[in-house]
Amino acid sequence: MEPVLQASNLTHDFGEVIALRDLNLEVPPGVTGLVGANGAGKTTLLRVMLGLLHPTAGTTTVLGHNPETEPLEVRARIGYMPEGDCLPKDQTAADFVAYAAQLAGIPHDEARRRSSETLFLVGLEEERFRFLGDFSTGMQQRVKLAQAIVHDPDLLLLDEPASGLDPDGRTQMLALIKRLAEFDINVIVSSHVLTDIEETCDWVVMLDAGDLLKSGPLERRELLGTVDVEVLERAETVAEALRARGIEVSVDGRRLEAGPGDETLEGAIVEEIASARAGLVRMTRESTSLEDLFLDRDAPERDVPQ
Amino acid sequence: MTDQIIYDRGYRSYEGPRLGPPGARRAILKDGVRRVLGLGRKARMKIFPWLLISIGLAVAAGLIGAHWLIGDLAESVGDGLVPSYGEMFDIYGWIALLFIALAGPQLLIPDRSRGVLSVYFSRPLTVDGYLTSKAGAFVAVVGVIYLLPQFLLHLGLALISDDGFLPYLGDNLDILWKVPATALGFIVLHGALVFAISAFVDRQGIAAATFLGLFIATRPIAFLMTEASFPGSNYFTLLALDHHPRIIRDYLFNNTTEYPAEAAGFEVWVSLLVIIALVGLSTWLVRSRYRRLA
Repeated sequence: MEPVLQASNLTHDFGEVIALRDLNLEVPPGVTGLVGANGAGKTTLLRVMLGLLHPTAGTTTVLGHNPETEPLEVRARIGYMPEGDCLPKDQTAADFVAYAAQLAGIPHDEARRRSSETLFLVGLEEERFRFLGDFSTGMQQRVKLAQAIVHDPDLLLLDEPASGLDPDGRTQMLALIKRLAEFDINVIVSSHVLTDIEETCDWVVMLDAGDLLKSGPLERRELLGTVDVEVLERAETVAEALRARGIEVSVDGRRLEAGPGDETLEGAIVEEIASARAGLVRMTRESTSLEDLFLDRDAPERDVPQ
Repeated sequence: MTDQIIYDRGYRSYEGPRLGPPGARRAILKDGVRRVLGLGRKARMKIFPWLLISIGLAVAAGLIGAHWLIGDLAESVGDGLVPSYGEMFDIYGWIALLFIALAGPQLLIPDRSRGVLSVYFSRPLTVDGYLTSKAGAFVAVVGVIYLLPQFLLHLGLALISDDGFLPYLGDNLDILWKVPATALGFIVLHGALVFAISAFVDRQGIAAATFLGLFIATRPIAFLMTEASFPGSNYFTLLALDHHPRIIRDYLFNNTTEYPAEAAGFEVWVSLLVIIALVGLSTWLVRSRYRRLA
């Protein structure tokens, strides 16, 4: 499958400030997380992808087109949800989303139809004829998402989509993004909130002050970590039984450390403890977050295509 | 009949035609016209544009009535009792100027101050495409403000003419190009200046006031300079920006009004040159500004 993004020695600077430094990466179709602290270069990379900024050095290919030389071809196939405010307060949601579709070349009548359907999808069916100036932050974020997907783009760029949302709004927005993947829309989500990326993405690109830290698949198994267990007796017997199941185990007195493993690991441990009549005292999962990986900057890059 | 309800229609992919950059430009032009006229906006956004349009149409209707009532009298007391086509631009001048002061900022400032430009420039659209579409919307609406009352006046005068409808139209064929040509001079100059101001000012009220102030303040300076005697003072008469399209209008309609620039010895082509230079400078400023913003 054609990568949605390829960058080769990509560099962009704003005078003395280097926003992107010699990036080499290849992002496959699917949902990709673009993570990094504020100022890491995420928005700059998105703007380079849109052809709004030209690289100081290196090349970029988005959906097979060079955004520097073919910006209109790239933008015709992309949907973009900016981080900041981008909504005219004096228009209704239905009018604005239909207008956004027409800006992408969708004919008027079809644009009106798609506006209605897209606002339904993002949960604004009832509010679509209200003026955007009267919308809450959460509703505005949904309209921003609707204008980005209304024209059926091949690639969707979301810049901090959950920014400014309360916990409920954040959960709903992330659920919406996950749904987009079900409709075969490729998504690149930029966020400095790593848990958002953990929940939604299959691939992750980590940037730090313009440098590429990691680019590779997000292995959820890797994030699940090990399970610490304490039993009353027969710890060795339980360990042997778990090893027989192919689970990595170490024993220290009455305590065992099993894994890493997926969500079935706890179930297997409980079964073997019961079989051995070892008596479970406590069991906790030591999970590794994406943040741990991000902060572990000395770790070798995983699967970075050159 | 079933009692089933669709809770989720999912997402429908689109396989139909995509109109590309021309479709995007047409959409901006149509949205610009709707925005200036307040269509699809709250009621208060409709008040000023439609009030000014109504006043313009009422003036045209009033003039047709005046011609009808005192047409014979006008003939007996000589020309000048009711205004000519050329003089209509003076009557509409303030209405159009107010409309332009509202329309120009309305077309450019909200997109910029509310961040909507980031949506425009993520679509298949160039800066020039965006600006020309906005300018197209401006010319379309302001053109109607200038030309619709004149058109109604022309038809009205033809209907009440003693010579008959068609003979009147035939005798006044030159009106069909002189009025649009004069209107174009006003629209292009005013449009370029109000766009240049709106490209750099972030509040619509301040942009409108700056635009109106530019025209109000430069007139007395030009008149004062007709009396001045220092070397080069005659060039200051060119500062009266609003006089230049009027000088061209007078040239086309053979009017005899003398403006300060004419009194200072400048020919009509100088006014044309000033308009072209101001339009060129404004276009450069607006393009430069938006290229940085994109």
